[in-house]
Amino acid sequence: MLVKRLQYLALMLGIVLAVPVVQASSDPAAEMKPAAAVPAPAKEIRSTADHGKFKELQKDFKSGPEVTQACLTCHTEAAKQIMKTKHWTWEFLNPESKQRLGKKNVINNFCTAVPSNYEFCTACHVGYGWKDSSFDFNKQENVDCLVCHDTTKTYRKLPGMAGHPPYQDTEFPPKSGKIVPAVNLKDVAQNIGKTSRATCGACHFNGGGGDAVKHGDLDSSLKDPKKYLDVHMAKDGLNFTCGTCHETDGHNIPGSRYTPIAKPKDANPHIRGKNDSDPVTCQSCHGNKPHPQALSRLNSHTDKLACQTCHIPEYARGGKPTKTLWDWSTAGKLDKDGKPFKTKDSGGHDAYDSRKGDFKYEANVIPEYIWFNGKVNYTLRETKLDPNQVIKVNSFEGSADDGKSKIWPVKVFHGKQPYDIGNNQLVVFHTYGKDDSALWSNFNWDKAIDYGMKEIGAEYSGKYAFVSTEMSWPITHMVAPKKDALACAQCHAPQTGVGRLDKVPGIYMPGRRANEWLNTAGWGLALLTLLGVLGHGGLRIYLARKGDQK
Amino acid sequence: MSEKIYVFKVFERFWHWSQAGLIITLLLTGFEVHGSYSLFGFEDAVNTHTLAAWTLVGLWVFAIFWHFTTGEWKQYIPTLVKVDAMFKYYLTGIFTHAPHPFKATRLKKHNPLQRLAYLGVMLFIGPLIWFTGWFYIFYDKWTEWGWDQYLSLEWVAFFHTVAAFLMLIFLIAHVYLTTAGHTVTSHIKAMITGWEEVE
Amino acid sequence: MKKLVGGFLVGVIFTMVLALFMMPSLMFKEHVSPFGFEETVARIQHNIQKNPNGWSLSGLRDPGKAVQNDGGNVLPVMMIEACSTKYSAPILKTDDRRYLSILMPCKVSVYKKNDGKVYIGTMNAGLMGKMFGPLVGEIMGHVAADQKTFLEFDPNTPAPQIILPKAPSGGGAGGGAGGGC
Repeated sequence: MLVKRLQYLALMLGIVLAVPVVQASSDPAAEMKPAAAVPAPAKEIRSTADHGKFKELQKDFKSGPEVTQACLTCHTEAAKQIMKTKHWTWEFLNPESKQRLGKKNVINNFCTAVPSNYEFCTACHVGYGWKDSSFDFNKQENVDCLVCHDTTKTYRKLPGMAGHPPYQDTEFPPKSGKIVPAVNLKDVAQNIGKTSRATCGACHFNGGGGDAVKHGDLDSSLKDPKKYLDVHMAKDGLNFTCGTCHETDGHNIPGSRYTPIAKPKDANPHIRGKNDSDPVTCQSCHGNKPHPQALSRLNSHTDKLACQTCHIPEYARGGKPTKTLWDWSTAGKLDKDGKPFKTKDSGGHDAYDSRKGDFKYEANVIPEYIWFNGKVNYTLRETKLDPNQVIKVNSFEGSADDGKSKIWPVKVFHGKQPYDIGNNQLVVFHTYGKDDSALWSNFNWDKAIDYGMKEIGAEYSGKYAFVSTEMSWPITHMVAPKKDALACAQCHAPQTGVGRLDKVPGIYMPGRRANEWLNTAGWGLALLTLLGVLGHGGLRIYLARKGDQK
Repeated sequence: MSEKIYVFKVFERFWHWSQAGLIITLLLTGFEVHGSYSLFGFEDAVNTHTLAAWTLVGLWVFAIFWHFTTGEWKQYIPTLVKVDAMFKYYLTGIFTHAPHPFKATRLKKHNPLQRLAYLGVMLFIGPLIWFTGWFYIFYDKWTEWGWDQYLSLEWVAFFHTVAAFLMLIFLIAHVYLTTAGHTVTSHIKAMITGWEEVE
Repeated sequence: MKKLVGGFLVGVIFTMVLALFMMPSLMFKEHVSPFGFEETVARIQHNIQKNPNGWSLSGLRDPGKAVQNDGGNVLPVMMIEACSTKYSAPILKTDDRRYLSILMPCKVSVYKKNDGKVYIGTMNAGLMGKMFGPLVGEIMGHVAADQKTFLEFDPNTPAPQIILPKAPSGGGAGGGAGGGC
């Protein structure tokens, strides 16, 4: 036994020693970076410009906006382009429904709302300094170039700093004892490059307040995904970045949850971006008849099923469970010493947090399936609601026979959040702040809601209760290898089995929901016929024997 | 003793048995696709069903051609002559070893009940199953061809299944009645060798 | 006489066919878990540790990891391995029963199915034991009784933490938590 252990130890030691050697030999750039004093050997730069040689970037920047000013000396139009996008405005007017959406306006059932919590939320704004409603959206140097174009993986914006990275070493989360080092703006600026899974993921993997929380199909496991998790982004495969599909034109990034494309035009595979209104769909590369013809009937499914329905059999498959429930109504419990506390679930994820309430997490989640035609309607703050029903924060329109819908996989996220009982409307509340009204400081809902509603200038009756809410998220990332796509029988299940699309209305699917009346009549008649011939035959045999005996 | 006559030509026997095999395959796979049980797995059931269906279509095209060129189609002209006698035979005579009221000849292979039943299969069950089957197979083309406004898959499947049940019932009765010839095995032997034993 | 033999043979064949179909459900048992995947694993692990008959956890395997490394997906599966020297020692000491070590350690499998539910799979230790003579039969009888307690859950207790093997090693060795075995 002891010998075994020693062998094991030696093995481990060997591995530990060997790993850095291997890394160092395969990646000279990584080795050189810390040793800035030594003249760097020629880095492999595919771009025609080496930003490290630009004299505009040869200075010790004190703040993000200073860097931006330097960027704008050459990239004169960049900030103007950014300012037209949702990444900057956090606002979107749905041209069809006329609903005013965007992070600034929507109340969701995760962290709920941005107003009155700007300093915290704007850690994910492509800008600097949005700490309250007086933020100047026209100041070009407020645009943050680095958060998307960093290649050093050292640039990080922290909640509570209104979109600035830490310029000094900062303890984060507060009182955790963990130190986030001050950002080296010069190094980041000189090493900027194309966006990557890591830069987009810095915000999009952490939506809803943590890794994997919100989307279910976007989490940090996609930074370096293996093939099983995502065939397109797999590092040892096609190694797509987000931008490969979200093909960007003048900083305008296609793909939207507010106006998704549910049923792309019938198209043959083509080169994306050319007269293409929707480069981000599967069809733009694969067309609408992507399966090998032969005997297979798979292509006859493409008019009714989104590709994602079969090819993303489960989401949150990267080992990071996604949040499936957030109940704000239990927030504010304190321990014996009057202190907020947390409890963990079996997998070590927060099950309760005094600041936020109860949570549930799940990995490898089987999606729910719905008809979806691309139209999404939101329950906005102004919308009157019926508190006796589960409020659909967003509802996806679609039906079997509108000709515009396909069956889509969605994550349905369940929540419970405060609403104004006087006005039957959702409320904005103040979660984060250094004042004494913030929920996370003193756990007083009355003050937090009052403050939040004043912030947006909305009427509040002064009385609140909690209402159950539901929010849907289309599942479109984490495309599995083709051998892992759903098999026929997973939907066309025999009547005894469970089919993925059992709850989807308005379709006849061979293999399930057969006409009961027909079955009874058909099998009944067949059985009667069988009994008839058996009886007839039996009688013949019987009488023949009797005849023989005579 | 009995005499033997040559009733079924090689092509007829080939047609009969390959058709029998295909129809049984189609029933087995079809009811799996319908959702009645799991046997081959849905995917294999669908593929086998489709393949067997097209094979049967081919076989029928050939058989129709054969029937018209050889004049054998006349075998299926319905007649009511002796139908009552056939009924009477199946209901009573068969139990008392009464003589079979019908004597097969080269020109009249089928007894009047057979003629009616086979004609029913060919004029009713056949077309029903073929047309609904084709609608089914070309489901994905409905929109392209502008048929989607007139057809619903649910009803297409319904009538296809109705026809399948009728075929199943025919199959049961048919298999049993093969034993109701002059002797228990005379019909079956005829369909294998071509020679039918008659009294 | 012919009929008698024929009838006998038909009976034998019938029983064999029946046994063939019944075998999986006799040898293995499957239950639906009232809890989520991780919580089910954790509760079974803690039940195993609570059992007084010398049980200890000897591993937690994730066979899905190996599939993932080969670029494939499977729904979550975890195999909880447990061992008690009280039961293993007597079998391991008997030369003509030592081959039964292939049945060790005792396994409970937790897995999710396509209906989204979490299932618990166990071996029917009692029945299997009876196939190997009185010594093994008796021991396996005890194992079966203990195994039952592993699956008795008290929903009123808070969800415990999963106990990870001390040296986690993917789909492979299952780790060296194993006291006892």
